[in-house]
Amino acid sequence: MIFDKLKNFVRRKSFHVTYADAGSCNGCSIEVLATICPRYDIEQYGIFVHHPNPREADILIITGCVTEQWKTKLKELYDKIPEPKVVVAVGSCACSGGIFDQEGKRVYPPIKNFIPVAAEVPGCPPRPSEILDAILGVAPIVFKDYDKKEANK
Amino acid sequence: MIEKNVDVSIPIGPLHPALKEPLRIKLHTVGERVVDAEVELGYMHRGIERILKGKPWNKAVYLAERVCGICSNIHCMTFIETLEKISDVEPTPRAKYLRVIVNELDRIQSHLIANVSYFLGIEHETLAMYTLDVRENSMDLLEMVSGNRVHMSWNVLGGVRWDIEDHHLKTILEMLDRMEPRIRRYMGMFEHGPLLQLRSRGIGVLSYEDAVKVPAVGPVARGSGHPESDWRLRHPTYRDIFDFKAISRKEGDNTARVLVRFDEIFQSMNLIRDAIDNLPKGNIQNKGRVKAGEGFHSGEAPRGELKYFVKTDSAGKIDDITIRTPTRLNLETCARYMLAGSPSIADAVAIYASIDPCIACTEG
Repeated sequence: MIFDKLKNFVRRKSFHVTYADAGSCNGCSIEVLATICPRYDIEQYGIFVHHPNPREADILIITGCVTEQWKTKLKELYDKIPEPKVVVAVGSCACSGGIFDQEGKRVYPPIKNFIPVAAEVPGCPPRPSEILDAILGVAPIVFKDYDKKEANK
Repeated sequence: MIEKNVDVSIPIGPLHPALKEPLRIKLHTVGERVVDAEVELGYMHRGIERILKGKPWNKAVYLAERVCGICSNIHCMTFIETLEKISDVEPTPRAKYLRVIVNELDRIQSHLIANVSYFLGIEHETLAMYTLDVRENSMDLLEMVSGNRVHMSWNVLGGVRWDIEDHHLKTILEMLDRMEPRIRRYMGMFEHGPLLQLRSRGIGVLSYEDAVKVPAVGPVARGSGHPESDWRLRHPTYRDIFDFKAISRKEGDNTARVLVRFDEIFQSMNLIRDAIDNLPKGNIQNKGRVKAGEGFHSGEAPRGELKYFVKTDSAGKIDDITIRTPTRLNLETCARYMLAGSPSIADAVAIYASIDPCIACTEG
């Protein structure tokens, strides 16, 4: 019991965040990059966000409306992440298609049609503090009682 | 199919720890040496030119600046200048200066993030974090002036959206004075750091002949001794009012490209200081409407020459539009001349980062 509590406490402070760009304008990408800068400093919360490497990630940040090539690859990318995992959709494009969801489009938003999404951050682009807030918001629930859930399956 | 004596072909991407955007680079290698490279695009195509067709011009401004999120302001500016060229509208004198101030602030932050991604490409995180910290100051200035960090919609037909207050101008000057010694220090760290130069000097060499053949544009061309590639030399405001001189270096390697960007940051700071010192009083918008017609216009984005072709009808709607972005040319140069001579696979990533690629721009 105490051991479970300790596990929950420790695991909310150690995360790997990976990041994929499914057809954004780069505006959200540089704001995600800005969260690692010394002013916002995501690493002080024990979160490591540098490399887009799905194999060792816990949280997947996706920006951008889904382009033609990403339609099949989003699910593949999601399956590569080991359990437990959550997805944070960053930007208006990822939430609803935003400005690109118009006549003549070549995009297939939103992200949640393809993979389950835990948190959405609207804005074009959202501020780094908002992205940080969303990541910290989902961080405690990812690993919470993970061993119990696995045992009950 | 050309027969090649290749040991192994190594794919980098579309999702790769070193790449920020999805793109596939195929490296054909002999041992550790790269003999040839291919670039495969197509992961970011959003069809923005198709969406733009048939839109009224004032709605098209918001779409045009969302071609790219890093150099957003220059897309807005070049699109508006193309429309002004078609419909014979001249911006007011004060608006010309205000456009230069915001455009150069945007260039400062774009060049800083380009150097950040190069430093992350050679895995020097300390310098990358220092540079990223300075960049936040320029983002603060942009937010203070325009109200948004990335997409500003600063330019409108015949002028700019709103005026910059006098106390904001004072803050800009103070902040630039505070940023300049820090950026000079980081430039010195890069220029004189032995380990950084071991990874940068003589790597990814692009000769002047090859640079004009493709042609390379922007800091890539200016790093290879081609100062005429700066389109601000031909821009009426920069040419006539500011007496603009382009910066170039002769070496053509990764060091030269990064240092050209650092030098251009100081040049942009001086342009902003000049603009604020001589800022004329008066209106910020001229009245005018978009006429039917078609025209080309080029602007100097932080990555190089950005070209717009726009055709409008008499109701002010966009009939046809074509956007050619700088990275399209630089990627070609990078794959054919720079990656192909790369001494090792680890350097290929650094060379790719040194051209400051923006795939979202390129595919549109």
